[in-house]
Amino acid sequence: MAPTQWELQLSSPDYPQALRDTPDPPKTLHGFGDVSLLGPSLAVVGSRRATPYGIACTRRFAGWAAAHGITIVSGAAIGCDLQAHQAALDADGRTVAVLGCGADVDYPRRAREVLSRLRTDHAVVAEAPWGCQPQRWTFTRRNRIIAGLASAVLVVEAGLPSGTFSTADFALAAGREVLAVPGSILSPECRGSNRLISQGATPITDESELREALISCGLSPFTDQNECLFDPSSPGGGPLLRALRADAMRPDDLARALKQDVVTLGRNLAALEADGLVVRYRDGRYGVA
Amino acid sequence: MHATVMTATLSGVEALPVEVQADVTSGLPMFSIVGLGDTAVQEARERVRSAIRASGLEFPNARVIINLAPAPLRKHGTGFDLPIALAILVATRQIPTAVVQRVAAVGELSLDGSVRSVPGVLAHAYAAARNDLALLGPSCILPAASAVGGVRYRVVNHIRSLLTEGDYTIAPDASLASDATSVPDLADVAGQESAKRALEVAAAGGHNLLLVGPPGSGKTMLARRLCGILPPLSHDERLETALVHSVAGISEEAVLAGRRPFRSPHHSSSVGGLVGGGAPCRPGEVSLAHNGVLFLDELPEFGPAALQSLRQPLEDGTVTLVRVEGRVTYPARFSLIAAMNPCPCGYLGDSERMCRCSEAAQSRYVSRIGGPLLDRIDMQLRVDRIDPQQIMEAGDTESSVIVARRVAAAREFALEHNRTFAAPGSRLFSEYAIQPLARRTIESYCRTMHLSGRAVTKLARVARTIADIELTDTVSQDHVYEAIRFRLDVS
Repeated sequence: MAPTQWELQLSSPDYPQALRDTPDPPKTLHGFGDVSLLGPSLAVVGSRRATPYGIACTRRFAGWAAAHGITIVSGAAIGCDLQAHQAALDADGRTVAVLGCGADVDYPRRAREVLSRLRTDHAVVAEAPWGCQPQRWTFTRRNRIIAGLASAVLVVEAGLPSGTFSTADFALAAGREVLAVPGSILSPECRGSNRLISQGATPITDESELREALISCGLSPFTDQNECLFDPSSPGGGPLLRALRADAMRPDDLARALKQDVVTLGRNLAALEADGLVVRYRDGRYGVA
Repeated sequence: MHATVMTATLSGVEALPVEVQADVTSGLPMFSIVGLGDTAVQEARERVRSAIRASGLEFPNARVIINLAPAPLRKHGTGFDLPIALAILVATRQIPTAVVQRVAAVGELSLDGSVRSVPGVLAHAYAAARNDLALLGPSCILPAASAVGGVRYRVVNHIRSLLTEGDYTIAPDASLASDATSVPDLADVAGQESAKRALEVAAAGGHNLLLVGPPGSGKTMLARRLCGILPPLSHDERLETALVHSVAGISEEAVLAGRRPFRSPHHSSSVGGLVGGGAPCRPGEVSLAHNGVLFLDELPEFGPAALQSLRQPLEDGTVTLVRVEGRVTYPARFSLIAAMNPCPCGYLGDSERMCRCSEAAQSRYVSRIGGPLLDRIDMQLRVDRIDPQQIMEAGDTESSVIVARRVAAAREFALEHNRTFAAPGSRLFSEYAIQPLARRTIESYCRTMHLSGRAVTKLARVARTIADIELTDTVSQDHVYEAIRFRLDVS
């Protein structure tokens, strides 16, 4: 199926309202895919030279948010951005890529497969006209669109100075909430994200904090029981993880709370433990890893 | 004048035949016993003399020598009183020789001539049956004789009754009554569903179980209910266990009725108290728990020597003691169920009270148990105090009878498949019919948790038992997952 191609003028009714309200909205948006995805969303951005830590955090938070019905916006760059799209795809969520080149140009090369999936099933947008090749300065311009489209920006790893840090600057200018994942004070890759936190960005250290932050900026992550995404093979894994994320619990109490028999519950717990999703504490309770 | 009476002395759980020879000759009046008897045997002289006189019989005013043959064998206990008195009375022709022909006598004498019971009559009954002798002794030989079956016996309550040739009764072939007394029921325990399941698995596979939890969480209550879900003792098991109890001088009635022994020695017990010892050698708690349950409450409080002494019985199912009087072997195949607090103050992880122990104190506490012993424990479970509200609200739970039925079925299923619990690691997976997926789960789990090869074996064993409870031929991933829940992680 060929991707649908569109152009949106600033005056067009489909033009995303959030972006229109920013100080410097692009005159025209070129894009592919589902225009309706350009609504409330979470931008997940990070360093191109992502460390394993950055990649793990990106996958965790972007995957979680996508699984809870939040559209993930990112820049399709190597590193954290690409991981954010990939995590959203893996979680069967929705995701939008904002490119610094023409929306029909596969850049970076490594993102080609992801981009082609995004053009058909999700959305890819760009300010630059069709066929426009990437230029250094187009990426900084692109970052203001990412910040403008999203309701909040989650910065996973950012050096200083860096393009990611500039996205955060645009977000602040546009009045968007900035969330940041804290990192090691020794790592240059985390200097930017840590600086953001000291300047007032909301630190995100786990899913519950992310959930709260999303709700406070007007996004509404699903609260249904359908969280099997973390362990599709075990049907009890969903509600179980939800309960454990709220508080570490004993198997007997969990079984009662979830109205399951203790044998089935115990097997599910052990399955999650074997997958490294939950851990058994020394006091006999189980909690999320 | 000369006479011989057969009797036996205990060595381990066996009664070894001993001949009591009496020689009464003229000379300076004296009474001596030779043949390596202990103090109790030497003191028989006073009891025998008084008992014979009190019965209106005559103690010879002559030179009386008693020899206990074979002379090099050490003999102990008061069971020689009756045979010695008999030998003297026969030698002095006060009772007919026929009374002691093809007879093994055992019993302690009171000064008034009445016959008292002694420990180990069951072993004596065995020895009598083996040597085709009739058994003569106090009334306690009656249940022993009927347990062994086919033994001729005669009860004597006073040596006066020996003046006549009495009738011997042949005990009917052993038919053992079943136990009517009640054991603690699982249905009495509110909540604690995980722990009940762990008990079921432990009972079905004969796994040793460690319960960890704060004071008042019901560890002891649960442990006491393990016997109730084990199948009743088989005929052979009853006799094996009763023999040990008999030798130790403990009533074997409950065991003969099929009830599995439940032993819970205090944590101050010595090595000898646990595995046996002393002079004369007595079986320890591990042997008294043979075919039953040994419950060690407050495991880390046991002395290190006592804990390490459990390793041999846990491995071999027997205890071999080497003492001056020789080697003694007692059977000791039991299910170990141990309980401990998670830390010295006991409240680590408790929902209400704070633990006041330092991290170092916690790990020191656990390390007292020692790796080698923990290696022999297959399953561990955390037990917690439950809410008073839950106790009130707890509905009907399964009674021991229902769980026992499943346990018995699982054991039978395992037996049908000729399962050996000592399958070597290399054949483990094929022998236990573990599905490839389940096998990969075990492997990857052990790799991520850095578990030893022994832990792999334990997981496989427990998973196999869980499959047996469900009467399924192969071990699936679900079974492995459940086994993972019972993994040991104190250490």
